[in-house]
Amino acid sequence: MALSKDELKAAILKKAMESPKPQLYVKDFYACDPDTKPRDIKKAANELVTDGKMVFWSSGSTTMYAAKGRAKDESARGV
Amino acid sequence: MAKHATPLLDELEKGPWPSFVTDLKRQAEKSPQCWDILGQMELSYKDRITHWKHGGIVGVFGYGGGIVGRYSDSPDKFPGVAHFHTVRLNQPSSKFYRTDMLRKVCDIWEKRGSGMTNFHGSTGDLVLLGTTTDQLEPLFYQMTHELNWDLGGSGSNLRTPSCCLGKARCEYACYDTQAACYGLTMKYQDEIHRPAFPYKFKFKFSGCPNDCVASIARSDLSVIGTWRDDIRIDQAMVKKYMAGEIPAEGNAHGSRNWGKFDIQKEVINLCPTGCMSLDGGALKIDNANCTRCMHCINVMPRALRPGTDTGATILCGAKAPILEGAQFATMIIPFMKIDPENEFEELVELIEKIWDWWMEVGKNRERVGETMQRLGLPTFLEVMELDPLPQHVKEPRSNPYVFWKEEEVEGGWERNVKEFRKRHNM
Ligand code: SF4
Ligand code: SF4
Repeated sequence: MALSKDELKAAILKKAMESPKPQLYVKDFYACDPDTKPRDIKKAANELVTDGKMVFWSSGSTTMYAAKGRAKDESARGV
Repeated sequence: MAKHATPLLDELEKGPWPSFVTDLKRQAEKSPQCWDILGQMELSYKDRITHWKHGGIVGVFGYGGGIVGRYSDSPDKFPGVAHFHTVRLNQPSSKFYRTDMLRKVCDIWEKRGSGMTNFHGSTGDLVLLGTTTDQLEPLFYQMTHELNWDLGGSGSNLRTPSCCLGKARCEYACYDTQAACYGLTMKYQDEIHRPAFPYKFKFKFSGCPNDCVASIARSDLSVIGTWRDDIRIDQAMVKKYMAGEIPAEGNAHGSRNWGKFDIQKEVINLCPTGCMSLDGGALKIDNANCTRCMHCINVMPRALRPGTDTGATILCGAKAPILEGAQFATMIIPFMKIDPENEFEELVELIEKIWDWWMEVGKNRERVGETMQRLGLPTFLEVMELDPLPQHVKEPRSNPYVFWKEEEVEGGWERNVKEFRKRHNM
């Protein structure tokens, strides 16, 4: 059975906090709940950004997700 | 007074054409950071590598697109462009602007950024080039609250849809491209502003097969107007063209004398399917064999017009050559009605089916056209619940195998691999 919205968001956030790579593709979150459709996983991940718990990380051509505080930031590297 | 010597860039001011270098120098008098663009670009020309770095948490709150982070890798030499982010604004359909709106955008941009613009990026957005992180939120606020103007897409989002002039100015338009472009832009706001897919996804809408927005080459989902009845022929006008009374192609090539118009040579012999003929002075078209290439209509627009039972052909999977190579879109549905009255129901259903499949099976950074290529057209058609059609065949078959599924063969079959292997040892 698919996870509830809150359980799904918790699982996504856990993955974002614990994964060795700080930046993740939306696809990397699909495994958080194989019973939820990819479009709903995307919606939950985007809600976490609106909630201020995750951030979008953009390379220009692709967009990735990171837990707040974990993303690699060019501007923080003294640029 | 120039801040950096730019001998290589200065070469680009010497031709008879307008030069972006001259424009940048002029803009630098008002926005001094433009001197550093010139300096950094000169260094790139010399070193033959880019000195821009991309990537980072740049954006406005709640949006995962519309702003592309850009940083100089030599901020000590070029402090004016240490941060130099790009902002994409969603262009109006067909790029019809009111001049007062353009002035207001420019006023805001001169205050909050470099003043440098690009009309337009290849997706279609109005691009504002170069600002710092602290200006992004105030700029976004002013654009959305004062001008009611939103950002476009970037990253793995639905990119800003774009369309040709369509019914606003063009008699060839077979459906209302502006209505479709605007309707789907509004419907898919979430997908435009927030990442949704394995990679970017573009819609482009052309009103007829002339495909003025090059959707067949540049969009993941291409909607090209067409008709399924007959080309309308006005025989009296055909005669006028033949007599040289009306110049061919609206006199677009009139600056040179090409000699007398020859309908046989210039129209009939150039029809790609050879479906036209002259019969006792009357022009005949075998419409069943017409591929809607538009050639004859473009040459004699006052004599020939698209039919009246109009709609669009849907194609999928074009892309530029970043990975693999450039690819044209594949024709998926030869004819679909495009109807604003039912909110483009049929098209929306197809789009969402494509997205659901691609989001599931597409690899990261794989365009839908690449997924189609990797898994094959038969798989794609099956998932889209479409029957294969003769129009899907691009070339005569070169693969000698036909694989049937059990349910496709009447009565099915019993498969006994062990028995088979006894006879055919591997
Ligand atoms: S694509 Fe066709 S309908 Fe659209 S502007 Fe071009 S010629 Fe006109
Ligand atoms: S549109 Fe093209 S294919 Fe059709 S009749 Fe005219 S030239 Fe031939």
